[in-house]
Amino acid sequence: MAGGSQDSLWAGYCGDFLRLLDRSGDLPAFLRGGASGASVAPHTEGTTVIAVKYRDGVINVGDRRATAENFVLYDRADKILPLDDYTLIAVSGSYARAMEAVRLLRHSFEYYRRSQLQEISLEGKLSEVTRLLAASAAESSGPQAVMLPLLSAYDRQRGEGRLFFYDALGARFESAEFGAAGSGSHRIRGAFDYIVKTKGPFHQMTFNQALREALVLLDIAAELDAATGGLEKVPPTVKAVCAEGIRELSEDEVLKHVRKLKGGS
Amino acid sequence: MAGVVFDGGVALVTIRGSQRKVFEIYDRLMFSALGNQADIEAVRIAAIDFAHQEGFRRSPDDVTIQRVVGFALSPRLKAAFGDPFRTPHIVRALFAELGAEPERDVFHTLEFDGEFRSYSRAAAIGGTTEAGEEMVRWLERGLSEGLPTLRRALRLGLEAWAVGKLACAGELGEEPSAERIRRTLREALREGTVEVGILDRKTQRQSKFRLLEEKEIEGLVSIGGEPAEEG
Repeated sequence: MAGGSQDSLWAGYCGDFLRLLDRSGDLPAFLRGGASGASVAPHTEGTTVIAVKYRDGVINVGDRRATAENFVLYDRADKILPLDDYTLIAVSGSYARAMEAVRLLRHSFEYYRRSQLQEISLEGKLSEVTRLLAASAAESSGPQAVMLPLLSAYDRQRGEGRLFFYDALGARFESAEFGAAGSGSHRIRGAFDYIVKTKGPFHQMTFNQALREALVLLDIAAELDAATGGLEKVPPTVKAVCAEGIRELSEDEVLKHVRKLKGGS
Repeated sequence: MAGVVFDGGVALVTIRGSQRKVFEIYDRLMFSALGNQADIEAVRIAAIDFAHQEGFRRSPDDVTIQRVVGFALSPRLKAAFGDPFRTPHIVRALFAELGAEPERDVFHTLEFDGEFRSYSRAAAIGGTTEAGEEMVRWLERGLSEGLPTLRRALRLGLEAWAVGKLACAGELGEEPSAERIRRTLREALREGTVEVGILDRKTQRQSKFRLLEEKEIEGLVSIGGEPAEEG
């Protein structure tokens, strides 16, 4: 390509943010490799995040507790983050690593969009997450250091919400109804199926119906897992993705839903 | 291209043919350029690369026009210009940055030899240096009444565009009449379309850039360059 530039590799020509960072030596530590003491030192983790479809999209619910071993480090952690206008990521596992990864992914999507002059496709976004997880898994030195995300997206082409979960190596699975991750998720896994079998599929529920189920499940997870914060001290994060984009409930609104639950209405 | 502040942020206005001319660089940075297409593309990519590296390594607040232009782009252009074994990049660029407050909005022009200049309320580039200066003079005069609305800013920008075109053709004369300007714009708009990028101070989104849609532009500016309706 004419232009006479000195750099032979223009990362911008393919919109690859990871390669750009690699060239300038800016890859975050968890991707750069070399053993670190990170897996030995106690770091913040432990959580339950839940994602369920509803009629118009996908709801994400997450507790607010961040622990390191048996210390509660922080009670207002937000584990459900927008990656862009139509994608939410719910993180579990190492909180610090998750925050870095989310920052990286956001930059990655924006970088692609600005340099390529078109938005990255949903498939492309999913692959970026896989790449990140695979690279991170290669460098991590223990099961605790791994981050496992739930990805919720509104697919504008199909006009529906979609939900994906990943394993530690980056393999991706699409879920038809629900997903959960974090230390508290194992305790409640069967309960999701029970709800689907007795009350019907999540993707046919209204927002309020689906949210109610998700809050009950989070409540149970909190009771059974010490690392998962309960519903009342600090209300859980509730975000949803739908055709209009990302919607977040305020703490007051979430409290209202929680009280209705406890009030048994 | 003309860059001008308005009451809701900053705007870059131009008339384009088939190729897009106004581009987003980062959350609060946009740019437009004249010259060789491949060279413009190289500058665009270099600016985006630097902005995203810096934004990630440090923070989005550290990505400023001064750093992108002054440290990343200007040295490269100067090097290409000064090196006898390389051809210079044929590009003249105009950058706009939305500051934290309106007083901190800033424009930068960047020349093919690496020279760059900053402007605070309006800036412009044209085919010749003199054309650019005439355009800036026109814009500054229009801003003497204070911060314009978007509608007024677009009209000002298009008038400046016409002034630049006349200046390049050597037809500017002492004082171009409103009629001449309207005629120039009408002719240009027969084949070209208006392209406007804004950095919107009021939006909640992280990225403040927005390319105005055709409908929005039509509502603000009619074919002759006059506003669709005053107000």
